[in-house]
Order: sequence, then C-alpha cells, then structure tokens
Amino acid sequence: MIAMLRSGFSTRRSRHGLWGVPLVIVLVLATILTVETDQFATRENLFNLVAQAMPLLIAAIGQLFVILVGGLDLSIGSVISFSTAVLSLDGPAALLIPAVFVLTGLVGLINGLVITRLNVHPIIATLAMQYILLGITRILRPVSGGDIPRVVIAAVQGSFLGLPLPLFWGLFVIGLAAKVLYGSRFGLHLFGIGGGVAAGMEDAARNFGIRVDRNIVLAYVACSLFAALAGIFLAGRIVSGDPNVGLLFELDAITAVAIGGTQLSGGVGSLHGTVLGAVILALLANGMNMANISPFVQTAIKGGLLLAIVGLQSRKKMGL
Amino acid sequence: MFDGEPAYLVEMQSISKAFGPSMVLRDVSLRLRPGSVHALMGENGAGKSTLMKILAGVHRRDKGLIFKDGTELNLPSPREALSAGISTVFQELSLLPNLTIAENMFLGREPLTRGGGLDRRRMRAETARALAELDLKLSPDQLVSTLTIAERQFVEIAHGIKADASVLILDEPTAALNAADVEVLNRSIRRLRAEGKAIVYISHRMDEIFDICDEVTVLKDGQNVGTRAISDVTPHQLIAMMVGRELSDLFPARAATLGKPVLELTGFRATGHSRPFDLTLHTGEILGLAGLEGQGQQRIMRSLIGRSQAAEGTLRLDGQALKFPSLANGIRAMARRGLGFVPEDRKEEGLMLGLSVAANLVIGLHAERPAFARAQGLWAVVQRMSDALHIKSASPTAPVASLSGGNQQKVLLGRYLAREVKILLIEEPTRGVDIGAKLEIYKLLRDFCAAGGAVLVTSRETVELIGLCDRLAIVHGDTVVTEMPASEATEHTILAAALTTDGAAA
Repeated sequence: MIAMLRSGFSTRRSRHGLWGVPLVIVLVLATILTVETDQFATRENLFNLVAQAMPLLIAAIGQLFVILVGGLDLSIGSVISFSTAVLSLDGPAALLIPAVFVLTGLVGLINGLVITRLNVHPIIATLAMQYILLGITRILRPVSGGDIPRVVIAAVQGSFLGLPLPLFWGLFVIGLAAKVLYGSRFGLHLFGIGGGVAAGMEDAARNFGIRVDRNIVLAYVACSLFAALAGIFLAGRIVSGDPNVGLLFELDAITAVAIGGTQLSGGVGSLHGTVLGAVILALLANGMNMANISPFVQTAIKGGLLLAIVGLQSRKKMGL
Repeated sequence: MFDGEPAYLVEMQSISKAFGPSMVLRDVSLRLRPGSVHALMGENGAGKSTLMKILAGVHRRDKGLIFKDGTELNLPSPREALSAGISTVFQELSLLPNLTIAENMFLGREPLTRGGGLDRRRMRAETARALAELDLKLSPDQLVSTLTIAERQFVEIAHGIKADASVLILDEPTAALNAADVEVLNRSIRRLRAEGKAIVYISHRMDEIFDICDEVTVLKDGQNVGTRAISDVTPHQLIAMMVGRELSDLFPARAATLGKPVLELTGFRATGHSRPFDLTLHTGEILGLAGLEGQGQQRIMRSLIGRSQAAEGTLRLDGQALKFPSLANGIRAMARRGLGFVPEDRKEEGLMLGLSVAANLVIGLHAERPAFARAQGLWAVVQRMSDALHIKSASPTAPVASLSGGNQQKVLLGRYLAREVKILLIEEPTRGVDIGAKLEIYKLLRDFCAAGGAVLVTSRETVELIGLCDRLAIVHGDTVVTEMPASEATEHTILAAALTTDGAAA
C-alpha cells in the first residue's frame, strides 16, 4: 500500500505517472472546502458535484486512450455537441441512441484513419474534424432546442437506492475503462505503442507483432465513443440539443488527463490519475463558485495548475 | 536426416535489398539446418543485420525467395515472421521500457483467461520460469526501464526463446554480456539446438563462434563469400574471408614525417572521475582515438569543441593556451581558430538534409560573414569543392538527402575543407559509406594532412583506425591509457592495451 502510494510520486518504478500529486491536491482542496464553507460537504452539493463532473470525467477517460498512444483528440468538443444535437432530433430513442454511437464511432474511425494512413499529425487531423463536425452540428441544430428522449433524461436525473444515477454512470465508465486499459490485450498494446513512441522506438511495438495502426485507430474510436457518452449525459442534464455545449471540452479533457500525471508523449499514465484530474477541475469550479471567485479567475487558476503539474515532470518525457 | 524431411528448415534464396541508392544486399543466400547453430559473419556494413531483419519481417526484400519447411513465405511485417515461428533478438535493444518484464515477454501473444481478459497470472508464472532458466534473479513485475543493459539483453534473449518458435535469430546477443553471462546463454543455445531448432548467431567474437556454432556463412559488402562447416575453417581463414583483401590495398601510405605540434592537451581530465592524460596532435598527422566502443573517445573529442565539458587540464593550439570552449559557442569559437568538427551522425547533427549540396557546402563560410553581407563567390567555392571531392549529385542544387551515404559524408567534409581549416575532428569518417567512397575519403584525409592539416579521428571499426592513422591513442574509462604507432597496432594489441590498464581514477 505504502509502496503503491510512493509510486504515485515517481515515474521510475511504475508507468502510472505522477498520480500522487493530484491525489494530494484533491485531499487538500476537499479539506479546505469542507472547513471553509458550510455548503460544500452537504449531500446536495456532493451529488450535484458528481453530476457536474461527470461529462468531463467521461470525456477525459476517452482522451486518455489516445494520449496513451502519444496522440491527442481535439474533436471531442464537437462530438459532444453533435451527440446532443442528434438526440434532440425527432425520432424514437431506440433509433437515436444507437445512431449517436454509430455516427461518433465513424468520426473516431475517420480521425484514426487520417492519422495513421495519411500520416496527418493528430492535432491537425482532429482539429479539422472539430470544425467539420461543428459545422454539421450547427446545420442539424443552429440554436439550442429540441426534445431529448425521456429515457435519457430519466437515466441522468433519476436515482437508485437513494443514490443519484450519475454516480452509477461514473462507476460504469470507470469500470469499463479499467477493464479495457488494464485487463485486455488492447489496453496493454496501447501502453506498448505509446511507450515505444515516447522512447523514440517507433518500430518497437510493430516488431513485437502488434498491429500498431489498427490499435491507434481503435483508440480514436474509443475516445469518440466516450465523448458521445459524455454528450448523451449532458443532453439528459440540459434537456435539449445544443451546438455549443461541447465547446472547449477537448481542452478541459486534456487538462484533466495531464493534471492526473499522464505524460502527453504516451505510454505513461493512469485511469485513477485521470479521474483525480477531472475531480480537481470539478472541485475548483465548485469551490470557487461557492467562494464567489469570478469565472475568469477560475480559468486562469486552471491554466496555472496545468503548468505547475506539467512542470513537475521532466520536459523530455512530456513530448508536447 | 529422416527420409522425406527437408534438409533445411529455412532457405533464403538470392535476396537483394537496397536502401535508396545504396545496394546493401545482392543475391545473398542462406540455408539453415534444423538442430544447428549457424554463424553469420562479416565486417560492419556487410549486410548481416539487414539480411536477418528481412527474415524477421522488419525490412521487406526487393528480390529473392524465402522458404520455411519447403513453404514460401512472404513476410510483409514482423507479425507474419513471428507466426511462421521465426523469433528474433535484435542487436539494438527493442524492449518497451514502460512495460514490465512479463508484459514484454508476452507482448503480441498474450495468454487470455476464459473471460477474454489478460491472463496476468500465467504471464507472470511463465516469465518467472523463463528468467530462472537464464539464472536471472528479477521479478516479472519489474519495469524494463529499471533494468541494467545486461539484464535487458537477457530479458531480450528470454523473450526470443519462445516455445513455439523454430527459428531463433540472435544478432550480437553478447555485446553487453560478460564471460559468465555468455556461458549461461550458450547453455540455452545448446538446449535449443538439441530441441531441433535452427539458430542464427551473429557475433564478432571469434571464440564464441568456434565454441557454439556448427556452420558459418560470411558476407562481404552485401554479397555471399561462402558457407563452411566450423570444423573446416580456422579463425585466420574466417578473417581472410571477411576482409577479402590486404589492408595495405585499402589505405593510403602513412605520413613520412610529422610536423610541429598543433593541438596539445596536458593534464586533461574528461570527467571528474577519470585520470588525467596528455595528448599531442602534429601537423601532417592522423591520430586515432581507439579502444572498446563507448569508452570515452567521443567525450574526449567533443570536449575540444565544448559539446562536452572537461573537468580540468590545458588546451594549446599552435602553442597558445586557450580557455576550454563553452557549450554555447564552442564550435563557433574553435572554428574561428581553424578547427572543424565532423559529427558521427551526419543526418542528425551534420547536414541539413532538405537543403542543397551547395548550401550545405558553403554554410560554414556564411557563419563567418556579417549578417547582412552579400554572399559573393560562393558558386566558385561550390564548384571547386564538388570537383575536388568528386561529389556525385544530379546538380549542386539537389537536396543532400538524395545523395548516397558516401557522397553525403564528402559534402560534410567539404564544408570544412572549404573554410580551409587546419585541424579536423572527425567521428566515424566512413559510417554507412560503401567501400568505394571509403577509399576516396581515406585519400582525402591523407591529402589534407599532406597539405599541412591534422586529423583527430574516432571509429568503431578498429581495422579502419589501424589502416588510416599514423598513431593511435587507446582510450579506456574516459582517459588515454596508452599510445602506439598504428603501423605496429593490431586489433589484439589495442584490446589488450585497453583492458590491461584501468582508466578510472583510484
């Protein structure tokens, strides 16, 4: 246990990255907020916090998949908006929900193919997709509106066993990602490919007989699908389709992953670090709102924190 | 051999391969018998590693056929080679540093549980067994990045020895191993041979070849020289096959007399831990830094231009004592004093590959000019250097990347010769250069010295240093342990000199 905790502060003995630092920040923030304010440690606020944090958490976990192979996905902001727009179209839920996953899966597939087959840099490929999809979303739904299927709203806003449903969304997503990242061939191959890229041995994973390109494409598909899930969750919360709701989500997701100690050069990072990163961003927003700190100051603090954590890691390992 | 079973497990027929304009393999054939260890020998650059990378699916052959058990193989990627039972231990370390030993061992062929997840327990148990077989006391859960080079080498070997592979390629597996480790490895190789596997063994160590191998194939300049049973050859005959010519044919005559000292180091310590030494370079002289690979030859060389910081000592150029050059502008400062540095990795550190031959030649002259001076007379320089160096390119405006390795190297040398430097510091003067260009480069350097220049050179190819230089300084532990005239040096005396003297400060 002690050894495991220690590994969170060193990148030498494990490939989970510096997740110990965000853990300390979460504990410190939670302590400060509990002591300094009356509202923080209340049942309503905590449940609200979970619901607020959930879309970012889901999107950040998706982002983790591509960052582990040394990539980045800037298109998820549009994927999220697009998902809410599709859900707000006229049609039965049994058609709309599968349509969201099929279409966003296709977006991830195109991202992955453009990056691996056409050798376009991930930032450019997904930035282009961000614009393309934003345009399509605005065609579908120029301004916020439309109806969201009842089942989606019920799945987000309801409760089960006295606990709010978003909590179960979180458990499901984290459990699924843990299974894929740590318990499957695919997950191990992602770490392997990213480790090779980060160490400057691009061919290493291929020499092990791994289908490198296919795995990278699948990572982008996974990232898109997680973003779609985040979009569905958001649609259930705002109860409409909104072409702007996903705006800047991609940057927050990357921030959450990086604050969680994951190295953007690939191969080193963790799911628990990413969860902690998303929780930090949620706590910052929640706490600073309570402390009446202006949202502009909040944004600046977020950037400062990102810089500080990235600065704790050696530049050679960061890649970006 | 039983009836009906093919005599050869693997047959590579007339394999050819070119990288860009340089032909690295020409109609090479290799046949491997089951239950035997086949040595593959040749000088650096003879094509051994390329041939094996083709068999491993890393490189694609341009021409030729590969059969295994009588079936033709295509091998577009390592995946197909692995599934055909061809397993490789590459020369350069290829394990993934961020994965554990167990994960590296099973990467690409992970065992699964019934539920479809990774069977980590089995991976751990089988890895522990494989490590124990090689006498390694390592935990399967250790990250590869925490291992020493020798440990990594062993894990690499353990990874290569897969139960389901029938062909094992070992490309210089003992480079990082000591004698005891080599014995452990040999035990494993003998066991695999007894199991009927075909093993390819690439090594420069003659004693190992005669100790463990059954057959040997020699390559030279990308072509077959011959295949012999080990029992039919002597080490001396093997060397003759590898070299294929007398050394005296290859290198220009040495300097008759040496001039005055131009570069003098006294009480020089390359690092805080190494012993001080003195070294003098004279005009007209080619001085080589020899010794085992990576013993500090490069560090000593680079401390002269500030790429590495010396701990203490004095540096004199033409008798004038100088401050040690700094990292920030050492190259510039030393260049102004007539000292040119030709780095080992010409693609990364030397040439601007995307720029033209002409630009690469004259860029050194530009560095001397004021920022807004007009560049006059540069084409004359380009013309003069292209002619003098016999640079073969489509035109002076062709990008350097389109040239062969030998011509690229000549362009890099030309950059310094154009500036009329007095001293050249050259790392690996003929790395990745074919034999014809090698001869030209040797002659160029000798002519440069005959005209009053001086050359300090490092090379991984000891034979090259012996043939090219007038004098050798043997480097070990970041210090010069002894000097010898190149005409009296042999690979053996150099090695002996390096190893019998301990360079590290007590």
